[in-house]
This record gives sequence, C-alpha cells and structure tokens, in this order.
Amino acid sequence: MTDLTPITALGAAAPRVETFGALQIEENAGLALASLALRKGGNTPAPFGLTLPDVASAVSNGEIGAFWTGRGQWMVEAAGKSETDFAALLKAEAPECIVTEQTDGFVAFEVVSTQGGAPIEALMSKLLNIDPKTFGAGQAVRTGLEHMTVFLIRRSDEKLAVIGMRTLAGSLWHALAVAARRLED
Amino acid sequence: MLIPHPLLGLRDSQEFTYLGDASLMNRPDPSAPDAEAAFCDYVFLRNNPAGVHRELWFHEQGDRSWLIVTRNTVTHEILGAELATDVKLGGAQ
Repeated sequence: MTDLTPITALGAAAPRVETFGALQIEENAGLALASLALRKGGNTPAPFGLTLPDVASAVSNGEIGAFWTGRGQWMVEAAGKSETDFAALLKAEAPECIVTEQTDGFVAFEVVSTQGGAPIEALMSKLLNIDPKTFGAGQAVRTGLEHMTVFLIRRSDEKLAVIGMRTLAGSLWHALAVAARRLED
Repeated sequence: MLIPHPLLGLRDSQEFTYLGDASLMNRPDPSAPDAEAAFCDYVFLRNNPAGVHRELWFHEQGDRSWLIVTRNTVTHEILGAELATDVKLGGAQ
C-alpha cells in the first residue's frame, strides 16, 4: 500500500511555530471547522450545548467553539479534531440545519501575546481595517488582510486567531510574520 | 470611505463590492403583457442622478450581506445603509 505522509497547510510535517518578541504565531493544524446555516425560518439549534453567538461574536466551551459569520450562519470549530469527520458530528447535533465540512478549505494561525493585549492590538493596527479597541475578547469578524479574506477571533485579550484560505497559507503566514517582526524594532 | 453596516457598524468600503442602482430589486413581472418593454427598461435604463442615490453594495469581505446604501453622488457622503433582505422591494430578496 502507498505510504502517504500527512503534511500541514504550510507543507511541513509538523505545525510551524515562530516567536517575534512578545508575539508567538502558531499554525493550528488540529482545528476542525464546519459551517452551520439555518434553513429559511428554521430554529436556532444548540449544538454540543453551545448557545450560538450573536452578530460578530464567538463563544467556546472546552474544545468546541462557534463564531458568527452571517445572518443565520455560523462556523463551528473543534480543537484537535481535524483528522476526524467533525461535520458528521455537527450534522448529528443539528439535523435540521445545513452543515458543510470546512476544515480542508482553511488554515488557522493562533497569535499569542506574552505581554497582554497591547502587542495584539499593535499587530492588528498594522494589518487590518478593524478598530482593535472595539475588537475585544469574544469578538469575531470576517474582513480583508492584504487582499485575502480572513476570519478573526479574539479568543482572549492575549489571543487572536486568524483563519484564512488554505491555498494562501504561505502568503498569510508571510503577512503575519513580517508585521510581527517589524513590531520587534 | 466608511459604510455604516446595520449589523457590523462602520466598515471600510474596500470590503464591499458595488452592483448598481437599488431599483434592480424591482424586477418586472415576466407574465405581464408589457413584459418585453418593461424588461428592456429594467435591463438597459438607469437614472443618473447628481445627488442622493440608492444603490446595492455587497459585503464581500465580510458577512456577505447585500446592503442598500444611500449615497450622495455629488459629495460622496453616505447617508445610510440598510439590509436588502429587510427592505424586500418587489419580489426580490
């Protein structure tokens, strides 16, 4: 049988981690994603006991989280489940809704600060047209970053997740790494 | 230029793409006797006002909603924005 070697979105055997001063950027290869959309007039489900968040917010409970992506639409994420059929699990939790597998389409980078929220806000100011002061913990938006579309989730004051298109993983890493490196000066 | 998204607040206009006049939501009835003339006007004729204009914008790098933005074409001042799904002009949604 063919011996296949799994690689991450950035093409390596292990997820990439790099530290730039107060900021650490880590490829989150284990994150499973599935989108969930309501049918017209459908009721909002509570998959895995989560209360699906309101406009531009994110919630999490243990390994499972969800963030708002549009009216009646959410992305549900599960840490460490990218090798499993997470969409099937979600569909079983919300059989009335439209569930689509998204893990293979996206790459997630976790930006973590060791010095509070200020380095995260400085990085956001360099890269994004979103006001970092109003983008506090529990907020999530979709916006543009160097002409790429990304989801941003402020997991906490010190943690920002950037989820972008998997085919552009290298460009997205480059954009984040260059901006973080310049903040060191 | 900032567009006041009804759900997400002020967002940069770079996140949006422009479609055109909001009257495009008033699609003529294809079974009406004058449907051909009505569709000819619908497809080819647009007002070109110098002043307040209602137009359709798509929040492409955002929540992918369609907005009706009221804009002054002379000053480029944005006077307001509403969700097209809330307005539901004619039969379009």
